Parts: sequence; C-alpha cells; structure tokens
Amino acid sequence: MKKTIFIDGMAVAFDGEKTVLQIARENGIYIPTLCYHPKLGPAGMCRVCVVEVDGMRALQTSCSLMATDGMRIQTASPGVIEARKMVVNLLLANGNHDCLSCEVNGDCELQDAAYHLGIERPAFLVEEQAERDTSAAFIMRDPNKCILCGRCIEGCNRMVVNEVLDFGLRGGHTKVICDADVPMGQSTCVQCGECVQLCPVGALIDKKGIGQARAWEVEKVRTTCPYCGVGCQLELHVKGDQIIRVTGIDGAQPNQGHLCVKGRYGYDFIYSDDRLTTPLIREADGFREATWDEALDLVADKFSQIIAESGPDAIAGVSCARSTNEDSYNMQKLMRGVIGTNNIDHCART
Amino acid sequence: MREGNQENVESIIEKYPKKESAALPVMQLIQEENGNQLDAAGVEEAARALGMSKSRIYGIATYYTMFNTRPVGKYHLQVDTCVPGFLHGADEIVKHLEQTLGISVGETTADDLFTLSTVQDLASCATGPVIQVNDRYFENMTIEKTDELIEALRQGKEPDNDTSMTVVSECGILLNDRTQADCRTLDFYKRNGGYQALAKALSMQPADIVNEVKDAQIRGRGGAGFPAGAKWSFLPKDDPRPVYLICNADEGEPGTFKDRQIMEFNPHLVIEGIAISAYAIGAAQAFIYIRGEFTWIADILEAAIEAAKADGQLDHVDIIVHRGAGSYVCGEETALIESIEGKRGNPRSKPPFPANIGLYGCPTVVNNVETLASVPYIVRHGAETFKQIGIPNNYGPKIFGVSGHVNTPGVFEYPLGTPLKTILDAAGGVKGKMKGVIVGGLSVPILTAAEAEGLSLDYDSCQKAGTSLGSGGIIVVNDSVSIPELALRTIEFYHHESCGQCVPCREGSLVVESKLRALVEGRGTREDIDLVLQLCGTIRGLTLCPTGEAFSMPIQAMVTKFRPEFEALIQQ
Ligand SMILES: Cc1cc2nc3c(=O)[nH]c(=O)nc-3n(C[C@H](O)[C@H](O)[C@H](O)COP(=O)(O)O)c2cc1C
Ligand code: SF4
Ligand code: SF4
Ligand code: SF4
Ligand code: FES
Repeated sequence: MKKTIFIDGMAVAFDGEKTVLQIARENGIYIPTLCYHPKLGPAGMCRVCVVEVDGMRALQTSCSLMATDGMRIQTASPGVIEARKMVVNLLLANGNHDCLSCEVNGDCELQDAAYHLGIERPAFLVEEQAERDTSAAFIMRDPNKCILCGRCIEGCNRMVVNEVLDFGLRGGHTKVICDADVPMGQSTCVQCGECVQLCPVGALIDKKGIGQARAWEVEKVRTTCPYCGVGCQLELHVKGDQIIRVTGIDGAQPNQGHLCVKGRYGYDFIYSDDRLTTPLIREADGFREATWDEALDLVADKFSQIIAESGPDAIAGVSCARSTNEDSYNMQKLMRGVIGTNNIDHCART
Repeated sequence: MREGNQENVESIIEKYPKKESAALPVMQLIQEENGNQLDAAGVEEAARALGMSKSRIYGIATYYTMFNTRPVGKYHLQVDTCVPGFLHGADEIVKHLEQTLGISVGETTADDLFTLSTVQDLASCATGPVIQVNDRYFENMTIEKTDELIEALRQGKEPDNDTSMTVVSECGILLNDRTQADCRTLDFYKRNGGYQALAKALSMQPADIVNEVKDAQIRGRGGAGFPAGAKWSFLPKDDPRPVYLICNADEGEPGTFKDRQIMEFNPHLVIEGIAISAYAIGAAQAFIYIRGEFTWIADILEAAIEAAKADGQLDHVDIIVHRGAGSYVCGEETALIESIEGKRGNPRSKPPFPANIGLYGCPTVVNNVETLASVPYIVRHGAETFKQIGIPNNYGPKIFGVSGHVNTPGVFEYPLGTPLKTILDAAGGVKGKMKGVIVGGLSVPILTAAEAEGLSLDYDSCQKAGTSLGSGGIIVVNDSVSIPELALRTIEFYHHESCGQCVPCREGSLVVESKLRALVEGRGTREDIDLVLQLCGTIRGLTLCPTGEAFSMPIQAMVTKFRPEFEALIQQ
C-alpha cells in the first residue's frame, strides 16, 4: 500500500517499512548523518539527523524514526538547524579537525555536515589531545578526529566478527579500544580494514595512501579481487597509474563491501619487478620471452600430442585458488569438454 | 583460570537465564580474588570464562567505576565529593587526607597501603561526608574521625560505621522501627503483618491486582512519577515470551538515599512487593538491580530472599540480586537492562519500550524500590485506603531524604502533598539562611528561597513551580554557598557519569564543565555564560536518554536564577 509523508510541505509517497531518513534520501533530500551507515542500521548516537515532526514535542532522529502515513516532517526549521549546528560544533570543538592536512578532506561526513550548515570555524574550542596509533601494518588511528559514532565497532563485531574493537572508558573519556586497550599493532586485529571503510571521518586511515592523493584526485575503477574464488567486488582508487587505496563496494554481491587484508592492502605485487609481463618458454638453458599466440599454440600442440599418444586421461587440470569461480568453471569445461577428461581439481583442495 | 574459581564462575553463570548476564559478577569475583584489581590477566580470564572478546570485557571494566584496571592500595579511600557531600564538607576531608597521607587524589602511598580517590555520589547524602574504604562505608565523617579511621586501618582494624541520622515516619508504611535489633528478620516482618498481602494476592486473579494498583493511582517513585498500574498494563497480552520484573535499586541520583532505608532495614517489604507484582504481571523471574557500592545491603537482600524462600513465600518467582558496578546512568531503565545483559550501561533508543522489548528482548517492567514496596499496602488495604493518604493525583506515602544545610538531616516518610516547610522543620530547620533548595534530586531545577515558599511536595505542585519532585531527594543550600561552584559540582557529576554515547550529552557536558570551571576560576567571560545557557537550551530534548535534560535543566536554572553571581566572577 502506498503511504505518504510530507517533507517540508512536499508530499512524498513510499511503501513498506521505512525510516524518514531513507525516504528523504530516496528523494534527494539532504539530511546530515554521522553515526548512521546503511549497512549497519540506525544507532541514534550522533543526533545530527534530527528533524521536527508535527505532533511530537522533541526533535526526532530521522535515521531511526519509522515513517507513518500522513507524517509531517520539517528538515530545516530553526530548531532543527540550531540542534544540528550545536552537534557539529561540539564535535569540532575538540578533535583537531584541521581539514587542510587531513587525509579524508573532501571525503568526510563531518566536513560535509559542517559545510551544509554553513559552519566555517568551530564556534568554540575545548582542546584535548591524544596520541595517534601508528603501530599497525596498514591502519593508522587518530583518536583526536574520532567522533565515537561506533561504526567501526559495529563493523568489527557484527559484520566481520573479528571482535577486536569496542568502546572503552566512558563519558568524555570514551574511546575506541583494541582488545584490552593495546596498540592496534599488538592486538588480535587482522587488518581487514572494515573499520577504515566504515569510518565517516579521518580517524581511521589506510596508511599506504597517506600523502599520496587528495580524495578528488583519484579515479575509482571497479574490479574483481584477484586473490581468491570469492570474487569480491572492489574499487581501486587510482591516481595516474598508482593505486592509492582499495575499498569494497557497498551493496554489491558477494562481499557487501567487506574485504580481507590481502584484497584491501595486498596490491603491491602489481608493481613488482619480478612480475611476468609476457609468457616465457623454457628452452635448453632457461626461459625466453614469447607472445601469447606462440605460447598458446605450443601448449595446444603438446596437449594434442599427449592425447594422441596416451589418451586424454594422461592430462589433469588444477585450477588456481586465485582464479575467480567463473575462471574455475571455465577450467573444468576446458578439461571435460575440450580435453575429454574428468581429471580436474583445485589447488586449495589438493 | 585460577584454582577454585572455575566452580564459582559456573555457579554464577547457572544462576542466570542467559550466560552473558554473568559478566559483571564474574568480573567482580575475579577482581576480588586478585587483590581488588582486574589486570590484563584478569580481563583475559573473564573473557575466556564468559566467551566474550577481550575488548568487550575491558570496555565493561572501564565503563563501571568499581573495576580497577590499575593497581590500588590495600585500602582504597573513596571520598564522595558530589553536591551533598560538598555541602557537608567533603572537600575538607579530602584535603586533610592528602596532607595526612602525603599523596594527592588519584595516588597511592609508597607502602601500597592507601589509595585516595574522590568519587561521585555514594547515596549517603544525609550522613556525609562519607568515605568508602574498599566496599565499606564510613559515614558522618569529621577530621577527627578520619584520623581515627586511618590509624585503625594502619593497625589492620576497621572501626564501626556511624550511620546516625534523623528518621521520622509519619505514615509507618515504608520505614519500620529500625531501633529494633531484629527489624530486618522474617519473624519481625511477619509479626507486624508481613506477607499477608502476598497471601491475599495469590488468592486473587493477576488482572485484579493490576486493576487495584491502577485504581490506587500510585505514581512511580523512581523520578518520573509515571503511574505504575498503567505501566503494567502496557505489557503485551497473550505473548508467548517470558515476562521479567526488575526492581530498580540503583539509587544513583545525588540527594537520594531513600531506597536503601527500605532495603537495609525492611528488606522483606521490598521482597513481598516484588513477589506480588511479579505474580500480577506474570513474571517468574525477577531481578533487584542494586548499585554496586551497596554490597552489604545486597547481602541483606540475599539473606532475606533465602529466608522468604525457605518460608514458602517465593514458590512462584525467583529473585536474583544483581549488583551494579558504579554507574549513575545504569539507573535509567534501558541502560539497566543492558547492564543485566552483561554490557556497558548505554541506554537504548526508545521505541521500542521495555514493556515490549526489554530484558533479553522480552516484555519487561522496571519499577523503583519504593514503588514496589508500596504495593503490599495497596493489595492488603485496597486502593481506596491507599488514596486516603496524600492528595488527588498524588497518593500514598513518600520518603523524602533531606541533606545539605539543615540541622538534622535524614529521611522522612510523609504523605505526598506535605508542605516543604513541614519536612524541613522535621529536619531541624535550615542551617543559616536558605538560598535555594533542590527538591527532587540533583537533576531537577533549583528553586530560590522565595520560589520554595509555600511549596507542597507532590508531583503536580512541583511541576507548577517549574521543577520536579523527582526522587524526593531534597538538597538545601544556604547563603554560604556560591551557586557557580554548585553548578560546577553539578556538571562535574553529569560529565563524569555520561555514558558517552550521544554527542550533546558527552561533548555538551564537557564544554559546559569547561566554561563553568573557567568562570569559577576567574577566567570566564560573559560569552561563556551565554554559551552555557545556549548549549543547555539546545541539549534539552536532543539526547538519546533523559540524562541530557538531567543536567541541562538544573544548570540552566542555576545560571538564570542566580546570574549576578556568575557575572560577578568575570574579571575584566
Ligand atoms: C539517568 C537516569 C538515572 C536514573 N536512575 C534511577 C535510579 O537510580 N533509580 C530509579 O528507581 N530510577 C531511576 N531512573 C528512572 C528509571 O529509568 C525508571 O523510570 C524507573 O526506575 C521506573 O520506576 P518507577 O516507575 O517505579 O518510578 C533514572 C532515569 C535516568 C534517566
Ligand atoms: S576528519 Fe573530517 S572534519 Fe576532521 S579534519 Fe578530517 S576532513 Fe576535516
Ligand atoms: S574511529 Fe571512526 S568509525 Fe570508529 S568510532 Fe571513531 S569516528 Fe566512528
Ligand atoms: S544522554 Fe548521556 S547518558 Fe544518555 S545516552 Fe546520551 S550520552 Fe548516554
Ligand atoms: S545519524 Fe541519526 S543519530 Fe546519528
């Protein structure tokens, strides 16, 4: 059944069970959010997404408010703006938010919120400084910039179930901890980087990309992870011919944005001098470079020769664990349909 | 796992419907057996025993103030310097201890004998200053008594605690005669008519009990004044899930020390109240969530439950006494539920409400100790008799706790609607000249002496006067007190206690505290005063749980009503 809500006087139709925020987003209406992430659901913690609802006394968080037929919402009343400005100002008040030098400048939900609210400078400052944690191989943590939205913690515990992160201490001292508050590099963290991808600000940073490129300088190239048969969908953030960082594609099958440490950070091999760029053919005293045509013809000839001499069962195929499922499927087709043998296996099994 | 612990841990886990609920007690046990410290090895041990991650355990350990992740001395001296303690002279005790022991707050003596800390609100408001030594209270402290205490501890002895204060019960329903040595025994309770209400209740239909409580129109005594009968009837009907009843004994609101008077001296009244209410709402499992500092009261309750069980009173309901571990916010009902579920005490967003999705995702009722302790009277004598006490819409007896600047602080059980003046007179009258009074615990707006003139102590009158009856914790402030200092103390409490989940409370309390501190220290400006007011105005109603209101409203009232005092601190 179609239902309608009125956002700033405009009638908006929707069906099913949806939050006010979801409906607003579907209709291109901007409401700032910080703790909400579509993958994790509402958290109700930052309070920046508040709206005014006719008939309700207090402001309501749109990320958690279920829309009901006929509901009337104000997204920009003076009370709403005042509340949002205060939330953003409070977050900017202590946190060392020097966008100029920040890695996520241009790709930061706090910066976006400040921009849309017309906040040029924090309205007040209460400065407290904490140490950065650079101990881990691929992830840098800057607690100063952390807005304690809890997204990384939810991701770590509920999505990838590594159970490394949690909140420690409380109140104004609250912080994100690894295990029993040890540096990330000494913790049980496997550096999958899920937390970095979920972080709305620059509190969790991919170390490899530090100082390499501004957010707007990179081109995002969608590809499939070359590491295993799962076939995770990812985006390479590329500047020139350099990969700056890698992110999983939210909402895409099969990985819903999750990646493992190899898929996210193990991309250096593509620049390796040892990497083969042409096929090599072994001859008496070593390898020589060849073209694909030459190499493939040679392999085909040898296969035909073996089949003629010893029958197809003299050949076996072992598919590589780094191939995609589709490649492995093609491999068995090749063995069964073309070569004519059932000798087919996979290296992860042998 | 250390020798012998395994068994204890298992018996704790068995007690609960779900294993995760054993988190706090298991951690408490490990800390206790490890010289009052939960070190890295202890965190690991707890994580293993409970099947939880180390970060979760450490997150819990550092959320609740009673876990020591760092070493403390043999005697951990904790002085309550929150508002009532402050008014009773706690700061002088702290200074004296610093001098005597030669250490500052937060430090341990070289011989590892003493660690000195200041803590927030120990619910001993009329008997302040109070020093908690490990888990024992020493109330009504003076400089001399502090010296004696230190001397005794040095010799390995523990002196008696002086709990004296004024106790007056005009109604005689909630407070019993504590001068009787056997006042907390089952015998004493039954001799005085105890458990007759339960017998009557068990012969009634549960729905009829709910109706009786509804008819009595008793309003919740935990602070919000919500009618208990109405709350009970929100429970879903014909639902297959178990129903839970939780008795809120967190008693965390500064100025409040009433529930402990019932639990400590009249424990069977609470237990009978729980037994009847559980039967009425169909709960087979009940909990008493008691603040962790009240260790001896928890022991009293457990012993009383055992006695009642042996007497066949509790065949229909199991009652678990669950000890908190140091957190004000855990008094908020959803934070309390999280805490029983073995988590950090972070309030949940509402809706859903506990009546539908509460403990373990099941229908749950949370009621204050005093509310539940009023139920036996209602059932035994009927709603009409109950309504003879008090005034319309505000029925029944209420325990008022009076602390601060009165001559004889204490607890006073009077009908709702009693004039403030009557209670203050019963408390020996105001010491000096009254500047203001906080009538419902620290989280309600202060009234000036003029505003408090002629005030009647009931929910509606207090609301009309621009404040709230809250928990009935009355804090009297005389003209020797600087309101800016009082405001700073107040925000220090809330900043310390904020769970830290939501921005307006976590960061707002920080900014308000820093601005008030600047003002008190003579570094403040007029803009700081305005900023404090603006923040308080915006924070109100914007937070995830009512804690935002709990500090923004009182601070706003202090600044608006006593603004000249704040302005006088500006030095330029
Ligand atoms: C921050 C905060 C602290 C609270 N602390 C307590 C408490 O210590 N004891 C209590 O009974 N209620 C406390 N409450 C109120 C409870 O959430 C709840 O409303 C109450 O226990 C319901 O009982 P009642 O209806 O019988 O009053 C607190 C509420 C808030 C927001
Ligand atoms: S985290 Fe965001 S707001 Fe903070 S400095 Fe970086 S870009 Fe700016
Ligand atoms: S590190 Fe990032 S994701 Fe994690 S709580 Fe802080 S701001 Fe949120
Ligand atoms: S208002 Fe304060 S105590 Fe309540 S949820 Fe927010 S941060 Fe926690
Ligand atoms: S986005 Fe809704 S509360 Fe944070």
